[in-house]
Amino acid sequence: MTNVITNDNLQCTVALAALQNVMDPEIGLNIVDLGLVYQLDFDESEKKIYCAMTLTTQFCPMGESITNAVKENLKLSFPEYEAEIDLTFDPPWSHEMISEEGREFLNEQ
Amino acid sequence: MFSTTGNTEATKTTSWKVVLPFYGYAAIAFLIATILLLFSASDITSHYFLPHTLAIIHIMALGWGTMMILGASHQLVPVLIEGKLYSNKLAYASFTFAAIGIPLLVNGFYVFNMGLHTQCGGILIILSVIAYLINLAASMVKSKQENVHAFFIFTAALWLLATAIVGLLLLYNFTEPLLPKGSLNYLPVHAHIGIVGWFLLLVMGVGSRLIPMFLISKYNNTRQLWWIYGLINGGLLSFVYIFLYTDSKSLLSIPLLAVAASIVLFGDFCFKAYQQRIRKKVDEQMKVSLLSVLMMLLPVIFLVIIITLLILSPKENVSLIITYGFIIFFGWITAIILGMTFKTLPFIVWNKVYHHLAGKGKTPNPKDLFSKKVFKWMSVAYILGFVMFTAGILFYSAIVLQIAAALLLLTSLLYNWNVIKLLMHKPVSL
Repeated sequence: MTNVITNDNLQCTVALAALQNVMDPEIGLNIVDLGLVYQLDFDESEKKIYCAMTLTTQFCPMGESITNAVKENLKLSFPEYEAEIDLTFDPPWSHEMISEEGREFLNEQ
Repeated sequence: MFSTTGNTEATKTTSWKVVLPFYGYAAIAFLIATILLLFSASDITSHYFLPHTLAIIHIMALGWGTMMILGASHQLVPVLIEGKLYSNKLAYASFTFAAIGIPLLVNGFYVFNMGLHTQCGGILIILSVIAYLINLAASMVKSKQENVHAFFIFTAALWLLATAIVGLLLLYNFTEPLLPKGSLNYLPVHAHIGIVGWFLLLVMGVGSRLIPMFLISKYNNTRQLWWIYGLINGGLLSFVYIFLYTDSKSLLSIPLLAVAASIVLFGDFCFKAYQQRIRKKVDEQMKVSLLSVLMMLLPVIFLVIIITLLILSPKENVSLIITYGFIIFFGWITAIILGMTFKTLPFIVWNKVYHHLAGKGKTPNPKDLFSKKVFKWMSVAYILGFVMFTAGILFYSAIVLQIAAALLLLTSLLYNWNVIKLLMHKPVSL
C-alpha cells in the first residue's frame, strides 16, 4: 500500500495509476511505490491537480525529468486539468517511505 | 504532514556541456596511456624515474584520474553539498587549462625536457585547480547545508593544489636549483599528497555518499566519516613532516598506520552499507566499484613491505616501488573509474537526450544506453591485464608484461567503445 494522501475518489485512483508510469530511472521503481508522491488534490472549480511530491535527494540530477514526467502523465489522464507540482523536502524522502510492493520489487531486483 | 514550499520546479542540475568534455578527455587519455604502456612494457621494470614511465604516470594521474574525477565532481557536487554549482564558466576554464596543460607536461616528461613548455604545462594545471577550487568554495558558501562530504571534497582539492605546486617546484628545480636537494628526493612527498590527499580523500568523500545511494542502503555514519577524514589528513600531515624534517624510516609507520586505519574504516562503512541495502541485486558497475574499495588495501600492503625493507636496508627495492605505483594508478583508481563511469555517464547522456521527452512516451532506460556485454568483456580484460602486469613486474617477465599491456590496451579500447556509444546516442522512442 502507498501512503499518498488523496481524496478517496475515482479521480485520485486514476491519477495514482497514471503516476505509477513515472519511473525513477536509477532505481527502476515507479515514484508512487518509491514514496515520492505525498499528496494529490483535485480542485474542481479551477480545474487543477495539485501534486505534492519530493525527490530522493534535493539536487537529484534526474529531478527535472521526473517532475516533467509527472506533469505529462497527469495531463495525459486528465486533459481538461492543469497539473501543478509542489516540490517539498520537508519531510525529506527516506527508505521508510518505500511501499511494501516497492520493497518486494527491490528485493527481487 | 509535509510543508508546502511553492516550489514547482526541480533544481536544475549541472549542464551536460560542462561535464561531458571531462569524460571524453579522460577516455582518450586512458587509451593513450595504455598505448604508451604497450610500447614501454618491457623496460618499465628498470626504474620508476624514467621519461616514459613519468609520462605514463602523469597521463594516468592527470589525464585519466583527475580529469574524470573533475568531470564527475562538477556533476555530483550539487548532490554532495546540496547546493547548485556556482559557475559553469569556471568549470569550462578548469577544463581548458587542464586540457592544454596536461599534454604539455606529459610531452616534456616523454622527451625529458623540463624546459619552458613543460613548466607552462605545470602552470596551466595549477590554474585549472584554482578555477575548480574557487568554483567549489563559492558553491559551498552558497549552499545552506554543511556536510562531511563537502569537507572531504574541498580538502581533497586543496591537496591537489598542493600536489600541483610541489610538482611545479620540482620541475623548476631541474633547471634551476630552488630546493636544498635534487627533485628526485622530493618525489615521495609529491606522489603521496596527490595519491592520498587528492585521490583517496576525494574517492572516500564521494564514495561514502554514492555507494549507499546506489545500493539504496539505510546505512549512514557521519561520525565514522569524520574519523576517516581526521586519520587521512593527520596521517598525511605527519608524513610530510617526518619525511622532510627527520631521517627516521621507522617513524613513517605512523602515517602508514593512520591511512591504513582510514581504509579499514572506509571498507567497514561500505560493507555495512552493502549489508543494509534495500535493493538486493548489485549491478556489474557497482561490483567493479566495490572491488576497487578492496583494492585500496593492496597498496597499503606493498607500502608496509617497502618501508620494512627500507628500515632493514637503505637500498630501495625498485620493482616493489613500481608495483606499488602500478597498483594505485592502473589498479585502484582505474577500477573505480571503470565502474563509476557507467553509473554516472548514462544518466548524464539520458538527461541530455531525453530530458524534454520525459513522460511523453516510453524512453530507454539509462542503463540500456551502453553495451553490458562490452562492459563485461572490458572487466575481464582489465582484471586479467592488471593481475598479469603486476606479476610481470614482480617476476621481471617481459613476455608477461607485453601480454598484460595488450590486455590493458584492449580494456581501454572497450571502455572507449562504450563511452563513444554513449556520447553519440541519438533519441529513440520505444
